[in-house]
Amino acid sequence: MPLHILLILVVGGISAITLLLHLLGKSRLAFLTTEDARGAWHRHFPDDDIRDVIVAQNGHAAFVQTAQGPGLLWSFGADTVARHLRDFDLIEAPNHLQVMFHDFTAPRVTLHLSETERPRWQELMALT
Amino acid sequence: MTDTLNYPDVVQMAVPLFVVAILLELGWIVWRGRGGRYETRDALTSLVLGAGSVAEGIILGFVAWGFFMWLWTLTPLDLGASVWVVALCFVLDDLRYYWVHRFGHRIRWVWASHVNHHSSQHYNLTTALRQTWTGTFTLMMIVRAPLVLLGFHPAMVLFVGGLNLIYQFWIHTEAIHKMPKWFESVMNTPSHHRVHHGRNPRYLDANYAGVFIIWDKMFGTFVPELDDEKPDFGLVHNLGTFNPLRVVFHEWIGLFRDVTQPGLTPRQRVAYAFAPPGYSHDGSRDTSEGIKAKHLARNPSDSGTPGFS
Repeated sequence: MPLHILLILVVGGISAITLLLHLLGKSRLAFLTTEDARGAWHRHFPDDDIRDVIVAQNGHAAFVQTAQGPGLLWSFGADTVARHLRDFDLIEAPNHLQVMFHDFTAPRVTLHLSETERPRWQELMALT
Repeated sequence: MTDTLNYPDVVQMAVPLFVVAILLELGWIVWRGRGGRYETRDALTSLVLGAGSVAEGIILGFVAWGFFMWLWTLTPLDLGASVWVVALCFVLDDLRYYWVHRFGHRIRWVWASHVNHHSSQHYNLTTALRQTWTGTFTLMMIVRAPLVLLGFHPAMVLFVGGLNLIYQFWIHTEAIHKMPKWFESVMNTPSHHRVHHGRNPRYLDANYAGVFIIWDKMFGTFVPELDDEKPDFGLVHNLGTFNPLRVVFHEWIGLFRDVTQPGLTPRQRVAYAFAPPGYSHDGSRDTSEGIKAKHLARNPSDSGTPGFS
């Protein structure tokens, strides 16, 4: 197959599928309840003993306190990803908090928190 | 001896088929409201990785080709190019695939290349295209050497390898539950391959087959998909990024950091590169054996059931 035809097929195919998925509503982030967050944390860390779960008001992140240490669970597309809060920086921005993990596989998470919950989350993460 | 033998690049030719099949699967899922899941950025990452893999083949394909043609000059054997020879080559190449794939899950050096294929938490036809960009660096082309030395022409070996890859495309779907029993017993199917992509302790390191599931049955790595335990797709430690470059290179970077950390013995450094994924010199990580053992400690009743025997 001539290279330019292959290139058109690949670029056209990727663009069309991506656009279609977005228009079909497949870009929505997973919404978490407390129970969802608890189950999702155990899915990622089955050995952990969960003590407390605080879900963000927008349902896209949860602060999870476990016997093994605190952690952050967040919506990752339609699914979730979780990391223990061990090696990270917290960066404040006007409209959000950014958690910078020193982890090549999960570099950063943006937390959109309400004005009321933001100080509480900052306090919890400062304690880690 | 046959010096020139030409076969079409079937993987490139199949690109339109891939696009149409993805659209059909997506249409089916939307229409029926079941049969799998799609997510925009996940699918985009898979498709970009697929395109990159084709590009890698175009750019670095000469390395494997040069190696095979060099072997071809060494061997006194030439089996010709009859249909039966191509069929035999296809079967033997599938056996080669089984072992390369098994190495890909049991040797971290090879896993570093293969891991990106397992990095999606979804399982749909785009996942099939989430292919490696770094396969050449694993040097697993060596496992194909016996085929060339036995007298199968390099062009034929690469041709049947392409057919093998195309066969594996359609089995990356949740839209098909089970195929007829006779087919499930011999061929790799969506059900068997869902097990392979499962991160459930039960399903780790199982069903390495490409086309014929018989290899797993022969070598003791077959685990059936259980109706009461749906595969949970993805990695044991799932990635928190859709960035294709991070997906492709994360395990190589992790491997390099582990091997070069201070205070290790030479043996430990070698183990970080070539032991099974999850090896650590201080026991801080789990291999699949460790994950299975911990699961059995939590769920002793699973002992002796498929995947834990």
